Amino acid sequence: MKLQTASATISFAKKLEDESAKFYEDLAQRYTEGKDTFLSFAKENGKNIVQIERAYYGVITDAIEGCFAFNLNPDEYTVKTELAEEASYSEALDKAVEVEEKIIKFYLDAAEQSKSLLADVPRVFALIARKRSDRIAKLMLCQNA
Amino acid sequence: MAVLEEPIKGIPLVKNYINGELVESKGETKDVVNPATGQTIGKVPISTKDEIGAAVEAAKAAFPDWRRTTPLARVRCLFRLKELLEENFEELSRIQTQEHGKTIDESRGETRRGIENVEVATGIPILMQGYRSEDIAAGIDEYLIPTPLGTFGIIAPFNFPFMIPLWSAPYAVATGNCVIVKPSSEVPFSQSRLTELVDEAGFPPGVWNVVNGGRVVVSGMLEHPGIVGIAFVGSTPTAKYIYKMCGETGKRVIAQGGAKNFMIIMPDCNVAATIPALMTSFFGNAGQRCLSGANLVIVGDDKFYNSFMDGVADVASKIIVGNGLDEAVQMGPLHDKEKKQRVLGYIESGIREGAKLRLDGRKIKIFGNYPDTCFLNPTIFENVTPDMKIGKDEIFGPVMSVMQAKNLDEAIDMVNTNPYGNGNAIFTSSGKSAREFQYRINSGNVGINIGIVAPMAFFPFSGMKDSFFGILHTQGKEAIRFFTESKVVIERWF
Repeated sequence: MKLQTASATISFAKKLEDESAKFYEDLAQRYTEGKDTFLSFAKENGKNIVQIERAYYGVITDAIEGCFAFNLNPDEYTVKTELAEEASYSEALDKAVEVEEKIIKFYLDAAEQSKSLLADVPRVFALIARKRSDRIAKLMLCQNA
Repeated sequence: MAVLEEPIKGIPLVKNYINGELVESKGETKDVVNPATGQTIGKVPISTKDEIGAAVEAAKAAFPDWRRTTPLARVRCLFRLKELLEENFEELSRIQTQEHGKTIDESRGETRRGIENVEVATGIPILMQGYRSEDIAAGIDEYLIPTPLGTFGIIAPFNFPFMIPLWSAPYAVATGNCVIVKPSSEVPFSQSRLTELVDEAGFPPGVWNVVNGGRVVVSGMLEHPGIVGIAFVGSTPTAKYIYKMCGETGKRVIAQGGAKNFMIIMPDCNVAATIPALMTSFFGNAGQRCLSGANLVIVGDDKFYNSFMDGVADVASKIIVGNGLDEAVQMGPLHDKEKKQRVLGYIESGIREGAKLRLDGRKIKIFGNYPDTCFLNPTIFENVTPDMKIGKDEIFGPVMSVMQAKNLDEAIDMVNTNPYGNGNAIFTSSGKSAREFQYRINSGNVGINIGIVAPMAFFPFSGMKDSFFGILHTQGKEAIRFFTESKVVIERWF
């Protein structure tokens, strides 16, 4: 079932943030060398949810196209966070990059589809996509360290 | 996707709120039904004339002290109310969906719009300041003081159960008046929850009262000499009646009526952005709003018309109809089976009068397992003329009547010939066409690439012709003027 309403899309974004936060909390426990980075990502996910909800609940009105702003296939953005027990730190970083890329794609597509229809929400989506791109740079740095 | 939890549990009985107390009415009760599930979710009383009398007496007793309360102290109650509304935002929104049927996105939008009025009214200490001229003659000054008037009645319709009383009540109480709100008896629960929050916010007893019921309460308000004014939103025939009665009884009045809104499509519009806007306009709230699009007028040649309508019909045919608490749903049911029956009557009338049924909403497809009692899918008629019933009457349902116009002049004539003047819009990328439309149409609210022309809380909710009876409007500065009288003082000291 496609995501078409703002409510469904916001719920899906929260699900992605929650799942990836759990993923980073797990990595932080398993890989002490990246603990601070992973925990900071998990914490930032919580802030992302607050930002998304603030934008949505703050501007949602019946004058904008809340029920018709999106046409997203959630299957394209579902993240697979499972990591093998024996996975190395380097493999964990690769997995994190993969997760980030999938989530960035979701936010960019959602922002693009709704930019002329929903106020403020697409701007927050684009902002979170940028923040997550910064994460990839950080993950690459960890990989090369 | 999730079906959100219903907030109303059991079968609660709605209470009145008189003199700071939640009290059971002595009147008969009737069931409140969730239109999506068909389940009875509670009971509402049909209050008596004595109960409206008791509310007026409570308000009358509260008025002198409330008037003397400083504006800052008065708005502190509104600040507390605003915080409580934010804290209970989601519950309030879900209640609206449960009692009315609209989608959760629409309910959240309604909650936000209501809260915005509370926010604007907190500016009363500045907004209700008067003005002063020194030395209008030697040693003589003159000044104007906006003063509150007493007790106002607020009568709400079923289609926006939470928001519409808030177009008026916050401004009325912030300016030092008292109010008696009569929610729609069809959807009383969001006002009932709001009332609990009003109580928690700490307004003195008698300042904000709520009396549930029907015609007896309305006529009680209209006839009672203790009520100085009425703010009403509903159908045009009732708005006309209220306006007339208020004239006869010397009450000031805002009477907002019905509509038949035109959406004008120019060939240079941004088609990709316009179509979702039209879906919201025509089918949002299942077409049950006075700002809904009703007539779609497409300007241009047949090639543009055909391609545009193919896009509209395709998207409309895929709209997901179901329980508004399901996050996937884009359109909820009509509020009750009588309202659905009325819309079905119009669909049959359109067929009889020769319009072409492009999309038949009577072929009901519901997302999820719900009774079809109140559901209709989007309906589109083409080849509609302005003299057909579906082209001129307010249907108040998910029905789009499509017309063609040779040029903008003809489209504007169609809008201006219609007896209503509520929320009409143009979709174009031409500033010239937009300006021409805005300038020439007789419509209280005008949209340019906006499908639902709903003014923000700091602008008046306007209306013209048969859509509005009165002078001042709800919301913003006009509401403040409505709820205050200008006292002009000329002063000389010997």
